[in-house]
Amino acid sequence: MAKRLLIVDDEQSILVGMKSYFRSRGYEVDCATEREEAEALISHVPYACVIADLCLKAGHGADGLEVVAYVGARQPQTPVVVLTAYGSPTAESEAGHLGAAAFLSKPQPLEHLAEVVEALVDGRA
Amino acid sequence: MSLLETILQPGGLSVLFQPIVDLREERPRLWGVEALVRGPVGSNLERADILFEYVRRKRAEIVVDRACVTAILDAAMTLPASLDFAINVHAVTLSRDPEFLGFLTDAAEARAIPLSRLTVEIVEHAPEWADLGLAEGLDALRHMGIRIALDDVGLGQSNYRMMLDCKPDYFKIDRHFVKDSHRDFYRQAVLESVAQLARRFGARVIAEGIEDAADRDTVQSAGIELGQGYLFSAALTTPGLASSELGKETRAVWDTAEAGRQPRPWVRTECWGEV
Repeated sequence: MAKRLLIVDDEQSILVGMKSYFRSRGYEVDCATEREEAEALISHVPYACVIADLCLKAGHGADGLEVVAYVGARQPQTPVVVLTAYGSPTAESEAGHLGAAAFLSKPQPLEHLAEVVEALVDGRA
Repeated sequence: MSLLETILQPGGLSVLFQPIVDLREERPRLWGVEALVRGPVGSNLERADILFEYVRRKRAEIVVDRACVTAILDAAMTLPASLDFAINVHAVTLSRDPEFLGFLTDAAEARAIPLSRLTVEIVEHAPEWADLGLAEGLDALRHMGIRIALDDVGLGQSNYRMMLDCKPDYFKIDRHFVKDSHRDFYRQAVLESVAQLARRFGARVIAEGIEDAADRDTVQSAGIELGQGYLFSAALTTPGLASSELGKETRAVWDTAEAGRQPRPWVRTECWGEV
């Protein structure tokens, strides 16, 4: 059975591109544009990995961290990759403290992101 | 536009009706329907569990419950007038929206739907809502002629305390206790216990999630008279319901009543809300 990913980002163009790319690599992909939508999905759908943007427009600046915490509470075995164009050592530290498996800057080559995700999903990271 | 704004737009929510059948009949007969709301087709919110989890996380139960009522009553206008239906309402809405009951009354009146056709299923209830006026809201519903159902009996907050707080007319026992009950002594014991408890309350039990004949027989043996689930029918659109075997039966009854002839006894005595 194909492994399922959740991608959380408020930019449709990014979601479309990432969804298409990961599907081409054999994943099933769900997308969410809001933190609450992501949390509703995480409440009901098991994921192999979650990729979350740190800052969502509709949110309050660090929704990605709340997603990390929520995954930790509901699906503790699921790794979370945090992406951000506005990274800081503080945010990275906090993400790690909350249980994020990786913290990557945007833009990020999809091939590299996929390598990170696959390593996490396969338990190699 | 946010997802919440999308679902609150006209047409943002769609409504299906799942039949509830009288298990005492030799052939399943439509006894009532539960209105089920879905989010925009093709979106994550098309799934009801995800839709309402999203709504709760947005803390938008009150505004969305109103939108659901509007969508359901619009859809219910095409149901046979003899067919009663249930709507799901969050406990927080009854507790914290003092205008909700007036809204419901006005919306039903505007569509010429008697409130006596409605049952309100209380969902996502928690003890704190009981402390914040849920009991008053439930009393008001009863005075309006609306019946109360307690959803998901046996799970989560649908516990003994909520039974006391709600004093429901219907206990909807969760599918968890129904599925495979025919080969599980312990599930059978739970079903029998709930049936007995409901009788002491003067209430009836609706078994949810009946998917095969063996479970239906077990539920019946436990003394449960009403059921819903894929064995009888999936949730259907109004046209789908009208053209289904169960729906055709009801349509015939409706036509008979419309023609001024005496409806058959089960219509008068077995319709939802006329126990």
